[in-house]
Amino acid sequence: MTTWTRGEMLTVAASSLVRDGDVAVVGLGLPQVAAVLAKRTHAPDAQLLLEIGAFEPLPTESAMGIADPRLWEGSTSFGGMLDVLGAMLHGGRVTLGLLGALQVDPWGSVNSTAVTGDDGRARRFNGSGGANDIASCAGRVLIVVQHHPRKFARQLEFLTSPGRRIRNQSRRQVGLRGEGTAAVVTDRAIIEVTDEGPVLASVHPGEDPEAVRADTPIALLEPAGGTVESRAPTAAQLEIVRTDLDPQRWYTA
Amino acid sequence: MTGKVVRLEEAVAVVGDGAHVALTGFAITRNAIAISHALIRSGRRGLHVSQVIGGMETDLLVGAGCVERLTYSGGSLDRFGPLHAVNRGIGHGSVAVAEYSSLALTLRFHAAALGLPYAPARSMLGSDLLGPLLTSGEVRLAADPFEGSPIVQLSPLHPDVAFVHADIADEAGNAAVGGPTWALRESAFAARSVMVVCEEVVPVGSIDPDAVVITATIVDAVAVVPNGAHPTAVYQRYDFDRTHLQNYAAASLEGADAHAAYLDKFVHGVPDHAAYVDLVGAST
Repeated sequence: MTTWTRGEMLTVAASSLVRDGDVAVVGLGLPQVAAVLAKRTHAPDAQLLLEIGAFEPLPTESAMGIADPRLWEGSTSFGGMLDVLGAMLHGGRVTLGLLGALQVDPWGSVNSTAVTGDDGRARRFNGSGGANDIASCAGRVLIVVQHHPRKFARQLEFLTSPGRRIRNQSRRQVGLRGEGTAAVVTDRAIIEVTDEGPVLASVHPGEDPEAVRADTPIALLEPAGGTVESRAPTAAQLEIVRTDLDPQRWYTA
Repeated sequence: MTGKVVRLEEAVAVVGDGAHVALTGFAITRNAIAISHALIRSGRRGLHVSQVIGGMETDLLVGAGCVERLTYSGGSLDRFGPLHAVNRGIGHGSVAVAEYSSLALTLRFHAAALGLPYAPARSMLGSDLLGPLLTSGEVRLAADPFEGSPIVQLSPLHPDVAFVHADIADEAGNAAVGGPTWALRESAFAARSVMVVCEEVVPVGSIDPDAVVITATIVDAVAVVPNGAHPTAVYQRYDFDRTHLQNYAAASLEGADAHAAYLDKFVHGVPDHAAYVDLVGAST
């Protein structure tokens, strides 16, 4: 029987939401693995861009991050941030953004700046980078997080990147384009973000919807046809992830 | 035309206390580490550092107490860890921070480079990044004069000096780098003065004009410093030094004392970058 890790399930679930033909700006880490997996399987015509100015890299080695030259391997051209975040993204050519998050709210807005620790002190993280630009301008956005109660907040401590609605305002009202966050993908479920709110669209194989809800401190709506089971990873998908994309298990353990 | 080739220490001497310095590395790649070391050795204080994504060069300077203000859009050592010294400095209030999105800060440099009064953008609308920047007056909210929708107006950002780590430069300062350029060109064009640190210097005319990323026209000095980016990577020249970065990240995480001990050994403990390279055993 095929088995997989939570990280592999998360990668495959996020990958399944990438559409063939998407022009995607992809954040570092697991989003990167998910996007390349999509390109290697059902979305060969997806174009992946890195905010630093790399077009269509197809790395064959695990990278330590977005600045690791291993990640730029196979790029068809190089430019700068004004090319990718400017002309491509702000210019309206990017259909998909894929981002990680420290914390996410019911509308898929993201905090990647700071959270208060158990000791009551603010802990700073890596900040926006291009994430705010991607969330502000991409056609639609997928947020990838581990399913931990602490990752969900009704009210973010710091709103780094805007989602589908921004504190009861629509994206149009604040001046943003694109539809914003379309889904929050975790290692237990796919939560679709709709104009009505977050919907528990599917839970991953072996997960119980009520148990997932219990670990999600934001209210999740029931989809019209009920919560379904996410598609299990295929042997082919797992093979690509394990052999090529993340052999050291940095992102998919 | 050798007038621009100077010693690293001379290139750094133009930076006074309180100067506004643009850094152009990114996380663990193409950081002007030799510059950070020289600034730390010269005891500079009160610097304003602006940089789209901070990296080890930034964390070194902040940890050494050289930096009073930081204008950036975040940063890290990639998977080696966060910029602990930067985060600590901001958390303790010893470093004043202005935090942007990457595109917004790149556009501030770009507006300065082009002599524009401001650059308009939709980035940061609705986010918590906007509030402090509106308060400080660096950005404004306005209505797009044509369409009427909300827009952010980003003021131009003019560094006094930009430091660029290049793969290769000619004696006049035409500099080439490999790989993506992130905000390198915008930062350099925005600065009043540009200092290039390169791995290798060649006579004028030896670099393919297509490969030149920073034109000599805006470059004031060139310093030749082999392994000048160690332990960060230079695309197709050398990889990052994994062990050294792990040790640095651990020291930076542990706290101010461990960071100071790192500086004592690798910065204050050696007279110049050649001695540092000997100490760490790097070679291109």
